[in-house]
Amino acid sequence: MCGICGRTLDPDGAAVAAMNRALRHRGPDDEGVYVDRASGLALGARRLSVIDVAGGHQPLSNEQADVWAVLNGEIYNHPSLRHHLRERGHRLATGTDTEVIVHLYEEYGDDLVHALEGMFAFALWDERRRRLLLGRDRFGEKPLFYAERSGALSFASELSALCRGGDVDGDLSAAAVDAFFVFGYVPGPAAILRGARQLPPGHVLTWEPGAKRAEVRGYWSPSSYAPRPAERRPELVAETRRLLEGSIRSRMIADVPLGVLLSGGVDSTLIAALAAQYSTTPIKTFTVGFDVGEVSETAMARATAQALGADHHEVVLTEGDVATRVPALLAGIDQPLADQALPALHAVAELARSEVTVTIGGEGADELFGGYPRYRWLARAARFERHLPPRLGAHGVRALNARAPAGRARRLSYLLDGRPLPERHLDWVTERRRELRPDLYGPRLAAEAGTQRALDDLTARVDGRLAASVSGALMHLDQVHWLPDDVLVKADRAGMLVSLEIRTPYLHRDLAEFAAGVAPDAHLAAGGKALLRAVLADVLPAACGRRPKTAFRVPAARWLRGPLAPTLAHQFAEGALYAEGWIDAGVARGLAAEHAAGRRDWSHVLWPLLALGLWLDRQRGLGGP
Amino acid sequence: MDPEPRVLVLTPDFPPAPGGIQLLVHRIVRHADRLRVRVVTVDGPGARRFDATSGLDVRRVGLGAGQPLGVAALNARALGEAVRFRPDAVLSGHIVTAPAAALIATAMRIPVVQYLYAREVGDRPRLAAFAVRRADAAVAISAYTHELAVAGGAQPARVHRILPGVDLPARDTIQRAERPTILTISRLSERYKGHDVMLRALPLIRARVPDVEWVVVGDGPLRAGLERAAVGQGLQGNVRFVGTVPDDERDRWLRRAHVFTMPSRLPAGGLAGEGFGIVYLEAGAHELPVVAGNVGGALDAVVHDQTGVLVDPSDHVALANAIADLLLDPSRARALGAAGARRAREFAWPAVARRVEDLVLGLLAGTRTSVADGA
Repeated sequence: MCGICGRTLDPDGAAVAAMNRALRHRGPDDEGVYVDRASGLALGARRLSVIDVAGGHQPLSNEQADVWAVLNGEIYNHPSLRHHLRERGHRLATGTDTEVIVHLYEEYGDDLVHALEGMFAFALWDERRRRLLLGRDRFGEKPLFYAERSGALSFASELSALCRGGDVDGDLSAAAVDAFFVFGYVPGPAAILRGARQLPPGHVLTWEPGAKRAEVRGYWSPSSYAPRPAERRPELVAETRRLLEGSIRSRMIADVPLGVLLSGGVDSTLIAALAAQYSTTPIKTFTVGFDVGEVSETAMARATAQALGADHHEVVLTEGDVATRVPALLAGIDQPLADQALPALHAVAELARSEVTVTIGGEGADELFGGYPRYRWLARAARFERHLPPRLGAHGVRALNARAPAGRARRLSYLLDGRPLPERHLDWVTERRRELRPDLYGPRLAAEAGTQRALDDLTARVDGRLAASVSGALMHLDQVHWLPDDVLVKADRAGMLVSLEIRTPYLHRDLAEFAAGVAPDAHLAAGGKALLRAVLADVLPAACGRRPKTAFRVPAARWLRGPLAPTLAHQFAEGALYAEGWIDAGVARGLAAEHAAGRRDWSHVLWPLLALGLWLDRQRGLGGP
Repeated sequence: MDPEPRVLVLTPDFPPAPGGIQLLVHRIVRHADRLRVRVVTVDGPGARRFDATSGLDVRRVGLGAGQPLGVAALNARALGEAVRFRPDAVLSGHIVTAPAAALIATAMRIPVVQYLYAREVGDRPRLAAFAVRRADAAVAISAYTHELAVAGGAQPARVHRILPGVDLPARDTIQRAERPTILTISRLSERYKGHDVMLRALPLIRARVPDVEWVVVGDGPLRAGLERAAVGQGLQGNVRFVGTVPDDERDRWLRRAHVFTMPSRLPAGGLAGEGFGIVYLEAGAHELPVVAGNVGGALDAVVHDQTGVLVDPSDHVALANAIADLLLDPSRARALGAAGARRAREFAWPAVARRVEDLVLGLLAGTRTSVADGA
């Protein structure tokens, strides 16, 4: 794990050196810069040694020193790729996966991405052809931002580093800010800063000096779900287990203790149980809890760890911690992210880092194997609607909406209001935050308040799949939107901030393709994730029969009333978000007052405002309280 | 006594239904000149026309084997046919007909030969154990199947390895396509056949052989998913799903293609995979080099580095390299194909049927001897 950067017009390597400095936290152990003086291109890398690989210094080249590469991430199948390359006469000088990329390029050209299994973002410079190739993994586990200006292109693992390359100014993109408010994250390929873009997951970018613009091409996308299962259930369960076991083995490192981020739910319990089977030493498990609210999650994790004979560790994120840690965390992340689970993940990552350098986590299981209840409920709603006179249904539901109290009842009322299903899906997750835009948006965002752009984009991603299967389409949507731009950003940044690598066994390419080949109904049986539950029943029968995991319950509403209230108040008074006219401080203050008084839970609005405000203040060089 | 011993063949798999087992049972019956055979099987589309012209003695149950009660009806019909036909031996073509075979054997005191492939042994281990226990001899179609049978409790001495055969094409026109063509022929109903791995390999093959086309013959429930996955990787221009095709068209593809592949792997969960893969021999018979997985029945069907190349069937890069190497080295491809054709000639169906006949006749001789001894 590392950070990478580069610029096509940087003959003295100064821009890349500056970008490299900004990536220091991603790779504190080593740094390197390569400059092609003839063409003026420079590549940079910062490295964190996960395992002490000799010769892991980057950038790295082939024997002729005419193909250079930098890599952020892990190529899990690199041992077998190395074997095949040697068979074909390549001489590999180091034990690193970066070198594999260089030689695969010689063999397959841009199509080398099809040989890779892992989480990665890489850049490769072909000196002879004067051609730059950037590639990003299939699900977007590793970030890659880029910008083009006046024929030059710069790129970096993080947006804050990209800004040092000289091709991005600090201006916010109003459309991206609007999308952030609607979704709670910045959906790619846009970035929060104007002029910056993200290379989408499963895409490559090529750049040549003569061409006006870089060319961006997709090489893989999650395939849509099968309409009906092609095989019998025992075969599906057996195949799930085979693929998941293979994935976990490929993500373990021999003789290095493996950490598992254990939540108590099915996903992480299952990977912990399988990892424990293959680990020669007891696995180390890490769980986070809170000093308020429900504690059952940590109790379940503890029981699982005990059943597995794991070396178990827990951390409690107290309200006191929240007051000091959360503002710094939300401000310090490179693109704003309003996921309320970020502080908890950061805390457990920090705990894990005191014991291990690499952990595995359950990211992706809910999206691939049908874990979220909304898939089932929206499919039911769509079925129900077919039997209801449309106007009557919509009117009735709107009347119900207007009266429904917050929480579950309101959420249920979103199900049946006749809007396009992707919008209802979004409303379920965001509790209709977007409807507050006309009131909340200040003059800088006024033009965005009434737009449908973010929603149109969401609907476009579903791309005609709804007719085949509502739940399958929504699972697909989460895989291309929520997963790369929220879930995986959270995992990458939370890990990187403490120099911990989080590996994700559920996102093995073969497993993901298999999951999509199974009909959604087969996934959604038994309360969701039916195949994973069935494997778990085989591997660890004791863990079954527990309540299905619904969501990681974060006491955000309470935090916003308590430890974070002063930060919020300071934001309204002095934050750039309000001072620059993005958000109306008066309206926001009103919501905060209602929230503080306990009249209504506005945490789904106040949290994104806090995240965006703190991030913007750091961007502007303003300190918090 | 008849000059030719009577053998009742029980099978849920028989042409015109497509597939390797169907073909095997049919060819053995057709070439068993020293036996008088009656086949009891299930009905299906086109069966009437097939039987009218096949010249074989075939009795069919009105229900398909896939329907509820289909297998039960087949077993019941087998008992009735045994009474009418009065066989000297029973050949049970699948473990699902073992119950009827066992009953007939007990009631009529005649020997049973049980055919074993692979998949069914893993799918229904208890029925398979029953079938081999009650049979006087079992035929395993490969070393792999032999292992499965012995692991399931069969006495090794009673399990005979008789590899399947192949139809030799008329020695005529190999007309390879201009476009580099990879061919796979199989039903698209079992994941272990490895179409998924081949789809992952195809972009890497295309990187080295830009104009390549993969022709997928066969149909089944996995097809839609494979087609979607091909689109997800931008492979629309390099894959052609032609579905189930008549035999002559299938043979034409065998003459047109440059490499045959079916990278079957061992399925998950202890289930059994490719028993042998007659189609590998068929490809060889058409002088096609074969790329297959280095597990299961393919180890008997393909000779590594002589008639084809065996690779780790879960490694898409290994598969891609093996196929692209052959497409880019026509002289090596031709050499492997020629060796495949020579080997296929050793597996002509009459020779295979003779081995099965010898087994049956040997059992009958043994039975008669013991009867004579007892008299």
